[in-house]
Amino acid sequence: MRLSHGFVRGETLSCIYHGWSYAQAGNCLRIPAHPALTPPDTIRVATQPVEDGGGIIWIPVGEPAAGPPRFDGVTPLRSMVVEADIAALEEAAGTKAAEGLLDYAHDGRTVRLLLAPEGKARTLMHVLVDEDSNPSERIAASRAAEALRRTAEHVAASGTAR
Amino acid sequence: MKLYDYVLSPSCYKVRLMAALTGVTLDIRPVDFHPGAEHRGPELLALNPAGSIPILEDGDLVLTESSAMLVYLAATAAPQWLGNDAAGQAATVQQWLSFSQRLTASLGAARLHEMLLRPGDIDALRAQGTAALRELEAGLVERRIRGQRFLASDRPTVADIACFPYVALAPDGGVSLDPYPAIRLWSRAIRAIDGFIEMPGIHRLHELKPEPSPEGGEA
Amino acid sequence: MTRNAMIDEWYPVGLVSQLDAHGRKTALMGEPIEVRLGEDGSAKVTGGNGRVLPACIRYGHVWSSLGDPQKPLFAIPEADQPGRRLVDVGVVRVRCSPLRAVENFLDIAHFPFVHTDILGAEPHTEVQNYKVEIREDDDEVWATQVQFYQPQAAKSAQGGITTQYMYRVPAPTCSILYKTCPPRPGEWDVITLFVQPLAEDLCDVWPWMALFDDETPMTDLIHFQQTIFVQDRSILENQIPGLLPLDPGMEIPTRADLTSVAYRRWLKRHGYTYGAQLVAQ
Ligand SMILES: N[C@H](CCC(=O)N[C@@H](CS)C(=O)NCC(=O)O)C(=O)O
Ligand code: FES
Ligand SMILES: [Fe+2]
Repeated sequence: MRLSHGFVRGETLSCIYHGWSYAQAGNCLRIPAHPALTPPDTIRVATQPVEDGGGIIWIPVGEPAAGPPRFDGVTPLRSMVVEADIAALEEAAGTKAAEGLLDYAHDGRTVRLLLAPEGKARTLMHVLVDEDSNPSERIAASRAAEALRRTAEHVAASGTAR
Repeated sequence: MKLYDYVLSPSCYKVRLMAALTGVTLDIRPVDFHPGAEHRGPELLALNPAGSIPILEDGDLVLTESSAMLVYLAATAAPQWLGNDAAGQAATVQQWLSFSQRLTASLGAARLHEMLLRPGDIDALRAQGTAALRELEAGLVERRIRGQRFLASDRPTVADIACFPYVALAPDGGVSLDPYPAIRLWSRAIRAIDGFIEMPGIHRLHELKPEPSPEGGEA
Repeated sequence: MTRNAMIDEWYPVGLVSQLDAHGRKTALMGEPIEVRLGEDGSAKVTGGNGRVLPACIRYGHVWSSLGDPQKPLFAIPEADQPGRRLVDVGVVRVRCSPLRAVENFLDIAHFPFVHTDILGAEPHTEVQNYKVEIREDDDEVWATQVQFYQPQAAKSAQGGITTQYMYRVPAPTCSILYKTCPPRPGEWDVITLFVQPLAEDLCDVWPWMALFDDETPMTDLIHFQQTIFVQDRSILENQIPGLLPLDPGMEIPTRADLTSVAYRRWLKRHGYTYGAQLVAQ
């Protein structure tokens, strides 16, 4: 059963199916069907290191030499799934991404997009805005990202990016 | 108040949930929707020629649209749920109440197709459902930017109850909720409301209950 | 290629109460089939190329097979006991292995988390030891002396009780449970899960019940069981791996899972592998 359907109590993650709970290190702490049993150390789930870098959650692929990059002056606004690859997003934005960052100029302002491919035809897009932007500017950035997604998905669907 | 009800119907659940949250006791009349198709039988068609449930009866008043039922329950027992403090807010509530019908027609129909074998063009239904979820996600993001957790205010209103069930049950129709972080936060906020009740397919937040103590395993 | 041993088994393919001459199009293990009412009042089932398939009517359902069943459909003697209410719960489709659907039905440890405040509730999570056997004479898996604390064991239950259970697997995709019958101590309520395998990862599930309960309206009985089953549905659709692993090692069983262990072993021994995965594949 997928643990993402589970629940967190205190510092433990429990599975929704039989309630087995796990510590941060991945070892099983409790099997509710056998309350008196101390779960053997062999019962564990795979764990994934994560790091919070300025409000963005990062996971390493392989063993990177350095920690996650920091983006000064911007703050994450929202994450979106785009049914298109990065090339289609680049075409829609009319500019190239550099090191996973795409600066999309729209209506006289620039929205910074952090891109992570999810397979071949899908991209996870994190929208970053100026730290000191006000709510109206943030809403405008969110809408700009929606517009870009529409265009990129249209590009991907009509296959002009290839 | 008498509710013609089906346990697996998200539209009926809206009314049960609203009643639970506003402290109204409903007289539940179970309808054999599946497998019996009782909602298309003579007794229920006489009440609602459209052949849908829920149906809410209170004296002479007969309501056959769940959004109207939510408004009726709120107006009767807990007007703060109406969300009509200002013109803009009242209109926003109406906007989402109307929007909720698109959820029924897309995500709801996909669920009936996948779960109870109803006919339908599943790809088209899922595509319409996904489009609606994206609109909802964007709307919730904008609310959060303004510091509000719910659709029309920082407090839940009938709009949230109208939209919540079909959204929460989208995976039943094969539409994933994984791409929508703002919807996830909103769904958790709704499930954390005092008096929240669940329906099959919508789990309560087990985290709201404390971990049983180690010696608590004894029956 | 070895012949799929499950081909010769009986499977539920529709409700008798919904049979008509018009027919119902469905599928059995990947093959499109059609189920309809014959002029003589019997059920007629035809396969993909129009060939006539075996058919029988029992326990509220039409049963059929793609192969040549060597035995009549398993017996549920309680079904003919006078005074029982027979409940057609109706079909629910689930995107999961048919074997996973049966295994979940045999599991009680999930009650407090998935059927919270109905079939279980924290802190009453403990599964006491029970007995499991493969009855060689009948070639069935049985679990007996199972018990669990339940806040609302049946529609007719008044408050929490410790419920006694027996489980039985007479066919690879069918299971029958016997549980404490609140209005009639000394008798067992019969609740079944009949699973129609559409594909290895898709099934139509037909729960059915034979209960002693003269009070509860039929619709309430149906809704109670649909509630329970649809609570399981999202769990079943999110199992990993999707196919049921028959070799030990992929999943960690505890004492609470002995019924499942016996079921998997029994499936493997018979080569009932439609919807299963073998590590050595
Ligand atoms: N009038 C709408 C209808 C709600 C609705 O679609 N109800 C479904 C059950 S969840 C229904 O009755 N469908 C009729 C059918 O599928 O035959 C409302 O109250 O929101
Ligand atoms: S599958 Fe997660 S606790 Fe059993
Ligand atoms: Fe269950």
